[in-house]
Amino acid sequence: MSLNNLILLTGRTINQGVALEGGKTTKENVRAAAICTFDKDDFKKLDCLVGTPVKVITDHGEVVVYSTISEEGPHPGIIFIPMGPWANQLVNPDSQACGTPTYKGMKAKVEVMRSGRVLDALELMKRLREA
Amino acid sequence: MVERKIKTIYDVVCPFCGTLCDDLEVDIDIKEDSVIEVRNGCQIGTKKFFSSNPSGHRYLKPRIKTNGEHKEVSWDEAIDAAADILVKAKRPLLYGFSSTECEAQSKGVELAEILGAILDNTASVCHGPSLLAIQDVGAPLSTLGEYKNRADLVIFWGSNPVHAHPRHLGRYSEFVRGYFRKDGRNDRFIIVVDPRNTHTAQIADLFIQVKPNEDYELINAIRAVLRGVELDVKEVSGVSIEKIRELVDMLKLCNFGVIFFGMGLTQTLAHHRNIDAAICLTRELNDHTKFLLEPMRGHYNVTGANQVFTWNTGYAYSIDFSRGYPRYNPGEFSSVDLLIKDEVDSSLIVASDPASNFPAAAVKNLFKHPLISIDPHETPTSAFADVVLPAAFAGIECEGTAYRMDSVPLRLRKVKNAPGECISDKEILEKLIIKVKEKLGE
Repeated sequence: MSLNNLILLTGRTINQGVALEGGKTTKENVRAAAICTFDKDDFKKLDCLVGTPVKVITDHGEVVVYSTISEEGPHPGIIFIPMGPWANQLVNPDSQACGTPTYKGMKAKVEVMRSGRVLDALELMKRLREA
Repeated sequence: MVERKIKTIYDVVCPFCGTLCDDLEVDIDIKEDSVIEVRNGCQIGTKKFFSSNPSGHRYLKPRIKTNGEHKEVSWDEAIDAAADILVKAKRPLLYGFSSTECEAQSKGVELAEILGAILDNTASVCHGPSLLAIQDVGAPLSTLGEYKNRADLVIFWGSNPVHAHPRHLGRYSEFVRGYFRKDGRNDRFIIVVDPRNTHTAQIADLFIQVKPNEDYELINAIRAVLRGVELDVKEVSGVSIEKIRELVDMLKLCNFGVIFFGMGLTQTLAHHRNIDAAICLTRELNDHTKFLLEPMRGHYNVTGANQVFTWNTGYAYSIDFSRGYPRYNPGEFSSVDLLIKDEVDSSLIVASDPASNFPAAAVKNLFKHPLISIDPHETPTSAFADVVLPAAFAGIECEGTAYRMDSVPLRLRKVKNAPGECISDKEILEKLIIKVKEKLGE
């Protein structure tokens, strides 16, 4: 299943904050920041279990992350990925000449992955280095 | 049972977020020189103290990358290699500085000037637009104590302190009892404006769900209604006109209001225009009552980085020294824009992790050129750095000064010694300055 016409927001979560202080290259950080949270009703449309990997695609890139239901809903049409290397594969790097990229509010679509792996932070970086 | 000798240090300043809580109590095992308990801190601050103990991801010695592998080397070798990279570069970038103390930031400015480098701090990717707006239209700010003692209406706009500044609500803005707000939470009306029903919104009195990227329209609709303009629409940014009118009445009737704003305003499409509008709204509200606003700064000393850079160069971030004197132009000399245009040919990252926090297009180019990382931990940046210089944690393993989000300087305390051969950011930058000068023949 897939969902189109979503808006992607990124930002701090307390779990992501704790995980980055506890070690950015650890599995804990993957669990905290390599997740995409959905509105409850949007998630039903995906027809998958919580934790199923999903591919999130924007005009600026794509990344595979775990899916989950938002505790901060309802926010139909909006998906949220905590700040970090995973979210940054998708954000709009254009700062419109003010220096700060547009980290929030990108158009996005999501596809449920039947097979696929969520990369850890260092694997993601390796992919960028080799690109 | 092994007997432990414990030393407790009181009134420790937490070096995590801009709230800079100054009431932590830290227990140190004297023999092991390690943190064994932290009281009063939030989850994230506590974790930071614990993660200063030696672990699999804490660097203990300098490292140089040879044949794709990091090898531990002496300080002299590492400083020599780092200085070599910086001296050979035509357009080096010095970035980070927000998670270290002011004395180290000052050394960073000195090094940037010697090298004719680009100097930037993390405000570039977070509250840079706020600084631009403040330069445009000024800002009615205050210290956090004023809000604590006086504010009876608090707005969190595009900011989620429950997650990002966990103790802000308890110390300054929501639950705390103030001199004129003796009943704490009951004496304050809390409004949250956000596209998501955040945890902060869930404990607020009024939640206004704005459409993503449409804060600018909403702020200006509020300004228009405040001036008595009849808007000929049913809703603005997903918020009904009735709700906007109700909100404006509340804002006018309060005794002392404050807007705490975060990344929801600075990182969305309108960037500094959002803050311009929010500042103008605050100014106009002062025709009716007392109103102020405050940026919710993220890194514990990003405010300090802005202060130190400003008093040294005249500018808060995005500074270019390539002509021998400081020039300022966010969008041209800001790190992400420079990296995307591939204008940088080496980087020195101090107490920061741009590989995690910059958009992928910028990170690709960061990795293309020599990279030096001054960091206590393994991060996605330091893991791929050519030279890693292991630092002591400022505020845990060395003293220094940090500026709270409201620009109040606080003295950071040292609670334990740094493990291994780690030395402070300031000492590392001093060593680099001496070596760079030597190589430049100065």
